[in-house]
Amino acid sequence: MFQGWDKLSVVERQDAFLAQWVSGEGIEFTDNERKAAYQERAGLIADAIRIDQSIKRVPIMPLTTFAPTMLKGISGRDAMYDPHAAGKAYLDFCTDYEPDTAGSAPMLMYGPALETLKYNLYKWPGNGVADNLSYQFHEKEYMKADEFDHLISDPTDFWLRSWMPKTHGALAPFAGMPPIYGSMELPMLGPWLISIGTPPVQEALKALMEAGKQCFDWITILGGYLGQIMAAGFPFGAGGATKAPFDVLSDSFRGTTPLMMDMYRRPEKVLEAVERLVRPMIETGVHSAKTNGNPLVFIPLHKGADGFMSDEQFRRYYWPTLKAVMYGLAEAGCVPACFVEGGYNQRLEYLKETSDIRCIYLFDRTDMGKAREVLGGRVCIAGGFPVSLILTGTPDQVEEETKKLIDAAAGDRGYILSVGCALDEAKEETMRAFVKTGKRYGKY
Amino acid sequence: MTDLKDLLTSVVEMQEDSAIALTVKYLDQGVPALEIFNCYQAALVEIGKRFEKQIYFIPELIMSGEMMRAGAELLKPHLASQDCAGEESKESRKLGKVLMATVEGDIHDIGKNIGTMMMELNGLDVRDIGVDVPADRIIEEAKAFGADVIGLSGLLTLAFDPMKAVVEKLKEQGLRDKIKVIIGGGQMDEQICQYVGADAFVTDAVLGVNYIKGWLS
Repeated sequence: MFQGWDKLSVVERQDAFLAQWVSGEGIEFTDNERKAAYQERAGLIADAIRIDQSIKRVPIMPLTTFAPTMLKGISGRDAMYDPHAAGKAYLDFCTDYEPDTAGSAPMLMYGPALETLKYNLYKWPGNGVADNLSYQFHEKEYMKADEFDHLISDPTDFWLRSWMPKTHGALAPFAGMPPIYGSMELPMLGPWLISIGTPPVQEALKALMEAGKQCFDWITILGGYLGQIMAAGFPFGAGGATKAPFDVLSDSFRGTTPLMMDMYRRPEKVLEAVERLVRPMIETGVHSAKTNGNPLVFIPLHKGADGFMSDEQFRRYYWPTLKAVMYGLAEAGCVPACFVEGGYNQRLEYLKETSDIRCIYLFDRTDMGKAREVLGGRVCIAGGFPVSLILTGTPDQVEEETKKLIDAAAGDRGYILSVGCALDEAKEETMRAFVKTGKRYGKY
Repeated sequence: MTDLKDLLTSVVEMQEDSAIALTVKYLDQGVPALEIFNCYQAALVEIGKRFEKQIYFIPELIMSGEMMRAGAELLKPHLASQDCAGEESKESRKLGKVLMATVEGDIHDIGKNIGTMMMELNGLDVRDIGVDVPADRIIEEAKAFGADVIGLSGLLTLAFDPMKAVVEKLKEQGLRDKIKVIIGGGQMDEQICQYVGADAFVTDAVLGVNYIKGWLS
């Protein structure tokens, strides 16, 4: 990143990237007051991550997906098809509720590009779910058991010629392309290029080009609002995203049920596959974080939760490669921010092993008192607020629960207040009570 | 009576290949199919205990379901149809019926499927009517099935209101006192249970089965 980077320790690299992000360098702020507000907000997040004892207040980071648009009465479909509506809603959410981080609006994605690709890994409003809802994962066995060796020997080739043709209908002809290695020398180049020239592959490439253009045009519009969000003094809560290797295999490739059987039927293949996915998952997170100048790499955790597998299975199949991804991100100066979905009450001792790097564990249903007991003062903990109260509670209930949560979790000064669930929706009064109480009661 | 201990151990320990080989071997030796079937049932009782003790989790639930399916396929041609039917109806009468659905607007099925498998493993008669099911259809299916319990699944927060709609429609039709309602999913808690008007909420399948068994006992 700069001269002398190689000589820095892992934590020094993370601190350098955090400092660069906090500075707001490169952002055209509306005025100096907004610049100071941005630096204060990002600074609070950085202080909590570093467990800096001079931190002034508990930072507040709502994980919004469709909540900003739904609060304004914008349907899920419009949020995914109208970047002006989505961008304006995200900007208004920030200026209205004044959280310490803005949600990642590009995670809403652009419906027309998904249509062009005939995307089927998810269903989205107007394409499999009702217009007023959010997108939803459509899990299937997209990778057959006999494809483990393909994935293990060459993840990119597997991705391009096996998985994408199944999950992106318009790219189905990629399955008929020969491996790219045919391009290695002049005498072999012809046959490879001929396959690219066949009408079905040409159509697939055109679809890919079209989807890329659609997304570029979309981000050109949405990006204007993202710039305004930062200019108004709000840093983004994530610079990029990646996944735990076991979850890639379970969510996107094999499907939960087949992979759970694989753990008995072909355990060595599962282990080889998750190991093989470590480096690609690191590269994915690092690339996006560096492109966005934001070190926080969001990692949603799914199938390692309490109740999904035994401690022994977690120790063998899930944790080692997740940990390797986290350390790989940290070595590049990024801060892994694990969104720990479900409960992790039985896994906290494992998370403690990462005390020597900067990272965040944002909890969903884990007991926050227990999380603090094991992890407090060692790594940054976050989350734990029940989404049920935001959606069905009263402002008084939210105020009371926020205070209780801060009392339980914030004592070590390494806590970020957050709802433990991605907010597809919210209620105005309770959202206000949540942020207001956090700011008032969260002062150190 | 043949000692089928090795088959029982194979099923309980998730040794899929060995369970199939032993089933074939015992059938070839002329061991009555019903005796082998009962051995599988005994294995399931032990597996159920391991779930309770949190020794077994979802991989084992799925594996045991697969082994039961494979075992039943081998045994079926050798079992007199009335033997099987007799066993099943006895179980149904004993425990009760559960209708399972993921509510309208939510297409997630993993939680529902896990809940269904765990209930079947525990001898409940379960009818699974799929995902994204409107409230009216859930109630119609529950009535037609004669359900004692309706299990509503949902991963998204957007499932809260459709769950509430099912309970309200049950009340409107005067069925609320006759049918228990249990809700399950990652974001279920006491607050949502009260909001929906359900009898219980769960975030794990073992607890769900325990609630239902308690109601039906």
